[in-house]
Amino acid sequence: MTDDRTARIGRLYEAGFVVDAFSEEQVEVLLGLGPDELNILLDIKSRLDEAAPEVEAHSEIAGGALF
Amino acid sequence: MTDPRFSADPRFSAELRATLALAAPAVRAASAALWRPSGLRARYLGYLGAMHALLRASVPLLELAAARCAELAPGDPAAGPLGRYLLRHAEEERGHDDWLLADLAVAGGDPAAALAAVPPAAVAAMAGAQYYWIEHHHPVALLGYLAVLEGNAPAPGLAQRLAAGTALPAAAFRTVRDHALLDTGHLAELDGLLDRLPLGRDRRTAVRVSALHTARELARLFHELAADHRPVFPLAPVPAPVPGGPP
Repeated sequence: MTDDRTARIGRLYEAGFVVDAFSEEQVEVLLGLGPDELNILLDIKSRLDEAAPEVEAHSEIAGGALF
Repeated sequence: MTDPRFSADPRFSAELRATLALAAPAVRAASAALWRPSGLRARYLGYLGAMHALLRASVPLLELAAARCAELAPGDPAAGPLGRYLLRHAEEERGHDDWLLADLAVAGGDPAAALAAVPPAAVAAMAGAQYYWIEHHHPVALLGYLAVLEGNAPAPGLAQRLAAGTALPAAAFRTVRDHALLDTGHLAELDGLLDRLPLGRDRRTAVRVSALHTARELARLFHELAADHRPVFPLAPVPAPVPGGPP
């Protein structure tokens, strides 16, 4: 594994992604992300972590987005 | 030999879904907050207003992206099939913003107030980024936006649940109900297109960046709509509760 790939996995791990639970395919997809994509993903994760715990408890898929 | 700038990747839609799966908990948590039972009626009205602000950009975005495809077509093998898809999709989506205003009126909201209100910043961030990418980068970025919005369409039972939770008539939920049905087919068609288009690596990155940005702003919008203290639109008084109905 190159240093760059190791660093990316490390950033995801530090952000709280359960990298150990990812399949090999998922890890490959993640390692293919560019810096912009990785930064947005980490931002999304940090916002989720900031959200109130009660919203995390809901796992149902209700959706609501419209196009 | 295929020019790598224009290579197709038959696994691209699956990879995009795998990437978006990492953002999905944030969107799911935001929609759970939005649809929580207490105070649902007022929040539903705010949702309709905000979604109208978003939806009224859908057809113009599709048409703008198709026009850019026509400009790019001579030197870009993805532009032709992409442009045809976008124009077809524009016809399918036309008029849906009017459905939302009709739902809003039935629900006791004021469509004129929704039209006059400044659209939420999260809506501008979502739709506005697409205008930028279409105009200054490549119209394929719009497919990332579609993948997220149609991939997080209302769940099949949501309209019924909202009707029960708000005591509003079924006619107030046409847009939510119909998009639960329509967007499943749209998503399958979109996945096929993503896998077939000769995009090359850079254009695929544009789709992923657009999709992740849209997911982030969608979660933000839902959280803002979920906040009780911050009415998104000035709305007419909501109808009086039905006796024996929810508070």
